[in-house]
Amino acid sequence: MNNQPGFHYQEEIDKLRERFRFDFVSLAWVQPAEDRFVLTWQYASGNLNERYKRIVLHSGKGIAGIVFKTGKPMLIQNVAADLSSRDLFNYPIIVAEQLKSLGAVPLWEGKRVVGVLLAGYRTEDRLDESSFELFQQGLETEFGAFRVKEGAHP
Amino acid sequence: MIQMTEEHLHDLLKKMYLNSMEAIFFIDEDGNVIAMNPAAENILDVDVIRRMRSGVDESFCQTCKGYTDEKDLISCSKCYLDYPQGEFSSFQVYLKTRGEGIVPYAASYHTIDESRGIRVLMLLDLTKQQKTQEMLQRMNMLKYVIKAQEDERKRISRELHDSVAQELLSSLVDLRVLKYMDVGEDALNKLRQTEASLTRLLDDIRHLSVELRPSSLDDLGLEAAFRSHFKWIEKNYGILVRFSAELAAARYGSEIETVVYRVCQEAVLNALKYSGMDEVHVRLCEEQGQLLLTVRDDGVGFDLNAGEAKGTGLGLYGMRERAELVGGQFMLLSAPGGGTTVQLRIPISSFEGEANES
Repeated sequence: MNNQPGFHYQEEIDKLRERFRFDFVSLAWVQPAEDRFVLTWQYASGNLNERYKRIVLHSGKGIAGIVFKTGKPMLIQNVAADLSSRDLFNYPIIVAEQLKSLGAVPLWEGKRVVGVLLAGYRTEDRLDESSFELFQQGLETEFGAFRVKEGAHP
Repeated sequence: MIQMTEEHLHDLLKKMYLNSMEAIFFIDEDGNVIAMNPAAENILDVDVIRRMRSGVDESFCQTCKGYTDEKDLISCSKCYLDYPQGEFSSFQVYLKTRGEGIVPYAASYHTIDESRGIRVLMLLDLTKQQKTQEMLQRMNMLKYVIKAQEDERKRISRELHDSVAQELLSSLVDLRVLKYMDVGEDALNKLRQTEASLTRLLDDIRHLSVELRPSSLDDLGLEAAFRSHFKWIEKNYGILVRFSAELAAARYGSEIETVVYRVCQEAVLNALKYSGMDEVHVRLCEEQGQLLLTVRDDGVGFDLNAGEAKGTGLGLYGMRERAELVGGQFMLLSAPGGGTTVQLRIPISSFEGEANES
């Protein structure tokens, strides 16, 4: 799916970042079975460093892992208030990119989550429920090879 | 030895009474204080002394809080004042002292004048000795706790690795066999999914086992354990650990290896949590009969004297305690903006013999 012809993920997330004035947008997807279904951040826009490339998440771990496992969007409006500082290092992408307010949505292939799209700000409370909702609506029904909504059948 | 004359003895005894560090009380049959030396006056409450002097209440009881017997730390049963025939040549007594609250004393109490029933009570301050003993006990206790924790972690880790993971693996093999049997497409799909989630579960269990205590630490030594730990750190947190080991795969006592591993683990975790950098340098080497571990980052650093810890503050304490357990030295260097360096030195000369024997 990475090589969906005619779809340039880097360009697309750059555009998304421009459109919603995000500080950071990143796209993770799940690796095939031989790599034990780990999640890695494949593309990033607005990143401070290359740390995201080294992060490998298991299902249920980290932002991408949680969204992947639950299949539900996740909003952290204010990192300082919603996550305890002791818990913070379990979300390496937040620490690495110094995000303060962020949301993540699952990307579907049929009835399975195959990717996670994360967008966030480095200022507190920039992303709240209504703007997160707007962002989700702003995504069209498809994002490259992925669908933004859960499909009816595989 | 000089010939002791009566006069001389009197003189010495008097000097001892006046200048001794020991508090001396002379007590009559009724438990009243008839005399005390300056050292004794120093420890008693001013009020109590005044009352004793004026004869309102001469009883020693108002100062004494009780003594230590077989049953209680502080007890008044069979008080030494009332049972002079009891064995009171050496015991521990608690006194209410001037300004210091209730303080333990080593005491001896015996009759010196049979006909008039005069007895002497001599006291020696025990607080310092008790503090030493408490420290010793705490160190020992801590050693036991850390050892018990390590042992338990090792046990659970082995159990997970050797039995739970093995059982799961054989079920997984069974499941794979199923795929080659004559089953429908639907069943095959479901099988694949189950296989995938079981594989993931097996992976999780292995992780858990390693996280508890890497078996490689016991089987292969520090270097191997560190290498797999740092790989794990890199994947989980996106931090690069630059590790250089100059040990030539040497092994040390398991106590030492555990301490080095845990201290390093904690130091690297601190670096990735607080330094703000994405690189940590770890160096492990031998120097002048010492095992030297250095964990360094070029991050934000912190003020060592700030007293206000960013986390719980327990990590640093724990590292220091662990280092002390094996007679090691723990050093922390940091300044705001100047990065942080943690250094651990453990003398290994005494353990070399052991390693050679095994």
